Amino acid sequence: MAGYILKRLLSAIPVLFGISVIVFVIMAMIPGDPATAILGSYATPENVEKLNRDLGLDKPMVQRYFIWLGNMVQGDFGRSFSLNRDVLDEVLDRFGATLILAGTSFVLCSILGVAAGVVSAARQYGLADKAITFAVLLGISIPSFFLGMMMILIFAVKLRWFPVSGMWPIYGARDVPALISHLTLPALALAVVATGVIARLSRSAMLEVLRQDFIRTARAKGVPERAVIWRHALRAAMVSIIPVLGVQAGFVLSGAVYIEMVFQWPGVGRMLVDAILQRDILLVQGGVVFVAACYVLFNIAVDVAQSLLDPRIKT
Amino acid sequence: MTLFKLTRRAMLAAGAATAMALSPIMATAQTPPGVLIVGQIAEPKALDPAAVTAVNDFRILMNVYDGLVRYKDGTLEVEPSLATAWEISEDGTVYTFTLREGVTFHDGSAFDAEAVKFNFDRMLDESHPYHNTGPFPLAFFFSAVESVDVIDPLTVQFTLNAPYAPFLSNLAYPTGLIVSPAAVAEHGADFGRNPSGTGPFKFAEWRSKEAVVVEKNVGYWDGDAKLDAVVFRPITDANTRTAEMLAGGIDLMVEVPPVALSEFQDDTYTVHEQAGPHVWFLILNAKEGPFADKRIRQAANYAINKSAIVNDVLEGTAAVAAGPTPPAFAWAYNETLEPYPYDPAKAKELIAEAGAEGAELTFYVTEGGSGMLDPVAMGTAIQADLEAVGFDVKIETYEWNTFLGEVNPGLEGKADMAEMAWMTNDPDTLPFLALRTEAWPDKGGFNSGYYSNPKVDELLEAARVATDQDERAALYQEMQTIVQEDAPWVFVANWKQNAVTSDRVSDFALQPSFFLLLDDVAKN
Repeated sequence: MAGYILKRLLSAIPVLFGISVIVFVIMAMIPGDPATAILGSYATPENVEKLNRDLGLDKPMVQRYFIWLGNMVQGDFGRSFSLNRDVLDEVLDRFGATLILAGTSFVLCSILGVAAGVVSAARQYGLADKAITFAVLLGISIPSFFLGMMMILIFAVKLRWFPVSGMWPIYGARDVPALISHLTLPALALAVVATGVIARLSRSAMLEVLRQDFIRTARAKGVPERAVIWRHALRAAMVSIIPVLGVQAGFVLSGAVYIEMVFQWPGVGRMLVDAILQRDILLVQGGVVFVAACYVLFNIAVDVAQSLLDPRIKT
Repeated sequence: MTLFKLTRRAMLAAGAATAMALSPIMATAQTPPGVLIVGQIAEPKALDPAAVTAVNDFRILMNVYDGLVRYKDGTLEVEPSLATAWEISEDGTVYTFTLREGVTFHDGSAFDAEAVKFNFDRMLDESHPYHNTGPFPLAFFFSAVESVDVIDPLTVQFTLNAPYAPFLSNLAYPTGLIVSPAAVAEHGADFGRNPSGTGPFKFAEWRSKEAVVVEKNVGYWDGDAKLDAVVFRPITDANTRTAEMLAGGIDLMVEVPPVALSEFQDDTYTVHEQAGPHVWFLILNAKEGPFADKRIRQAANYAINKSAIVNDVLEGTAAVAAGPTPPAFAWAYNETLEPYPYDPAKAKELIAEAGAEGAELTFYVTEGGSGMLDPVAMGTAIQADLEAVGFDVKIETYEWNTFLGEVNPGLEGKADMAEMAWMTNDPDTLPFLALRTEAWPDKGGFNSGYYSNPKVDELLEAARVATDQDERAALYQEMQTIVQEDAPWVFVANWKQNAVTSDRVSDFALQPSFFLLLDDVAKN
């Protein structure tokens, strides 16, 4: 197992290298440079040239890439010019906030999605199945940012149950209840689509398993229905559900970009959008590489979990 | 049923979580008295006035720092601030300022002539020990400054390399605000996150992407602020900003989207409006193509229904522009100028006269950008108006930074017209940078449409070296008349900046400078 994990980790290195090249080239290729973004109306060629020199952007591209890569390998992600702050500090702060949001959402959509799928499958064509299937269809079809805006209008503006935006109260304690009240709406809005996808796939995975012989055997020998479904069938179905959860984790992470904009959550998605608009090259590059690294690691973890659950997968 | 038991338990848990979540909200729904919460449009870049360029950042800075001079309340005319008086030499190249006595920075260090010298040397002198705390993108506002000399602790002298009339208004601009040398020495490149000035509020805390908090500077030389503290919250999404205002999460919201104004019509809110030094126009390519003919340029001015644009597209958040200078520069504005009327018949007549019926026009439109208002909708309305008088208009849309990269180097060989907007601090800036022959793009200026009129050049050069305000005013007024007649641009709109305050906020007014001044504001 340790060898398998090591092999997977080593295989991540070329992936991350490729990502660093791609994000660097994209940032170098998109029209508009940081100096123009900073100077706006005052971007004369002369001012732009001077500012680019001050920002160290006058060196050839290949040279800039290797300087950046060399520093990054040593843990120096550079300094964000749009925030006047170390890129790594900013990314870590923002990533923490995104993890809280996306993590909560992921837990929510995994539990709700799998539970809904199981209930649906256990009651195939029953009332519960129909209700869940309908709700799932609705959930998948609503764009999360629109749902987020509607939730703000109803639960924050009209009913005033929750704050509109942000992660912490501007005044008052930064404790868990305060966090929950700020987290509820964005986490739900973010979870809805993934919940729907997971519920659909869990339902079909469960139906597949429930048709198999060992289930009939379990029922025949008198195992209670509850144990048949939640212990025997679900465990077997999890083998095909877990990879879906892995993929959905990626969707939740990328969907967080919209939700963070709508709810002004101080996360990495909102940071990247702002950074791209400002052409804050180092912040975009550092942020993307960091998020990509986390995503790659998460996928390795999913693969490892799957191999633990299913001995048939060779390690 | 076991399945239902499980869901019931889950529902109980969810209910408990919700109840827990609700308890703190009730306590925080009401923002505290004496603390003003401002909904800003973005996170500031830095709180170092020499390092920033965005109006959004200026809104905070103007409350933390003072300059040598400032704009008189409600005008764009300069009055004393940290300098109590000044003298300008006969030839207009030496400015001697007498400084206010007994002023200290928030960090306790004294404000004096050495501090003033430090500020300008830091920006302008590449060998200054703290020049590396930049970059200072707007330092060129002071590129005429040759040297800054300390005469005595309360007298400082600026020597310019040539007479430069906008110097005083540039000093009133945020780039001219005075920072504490001691704080720069202490924090170096991190000064922008640990600011210290002399203003009515002192910096307290910056929570990245959440809030910047400033507190009352007790003993402020111009009288203590009425508020105990101000919290600036960056809320980039305009809909979310509106929702926060409606939910009571913020007390003051800037840059209300036109479509959201109707939400604030009842007595709970006050909507503030103030026209500022902003002009939205179309650059016309006067070098080649149909717009090389003055009659066609005038025809475009007649053909476009500017009232419909400001009233319908912009919902009244702008006024029709008459010429190149915004009326907010009251002292330099030519009151006799009337906007080109909406007259499609006259436009057709001029087009026929010039034999340009059915001419094809390429029109650069941006998706957004500083001061650009609602550029896509405005561009579409303009396209429709021009097609109604017989042009064939092809729109090309670009993202803002890309757009600037296309337009600033000049329209030659690419386009016939382009949207543009400017916000400036002096009536000199825009025409000097965008209307002179010497400001064609290949000479490093912003005259992307290649307008050239020797008389205009002469007037602008003369106005720049005149130090008497009345003399400058007369020159600018004459320039406006000529430029309006020559029509190098289509003059479209002057933006009225807006803001909404809740009924707990009093004594708030927007400034024509577009700065946000909060020292007289109160909140109960």
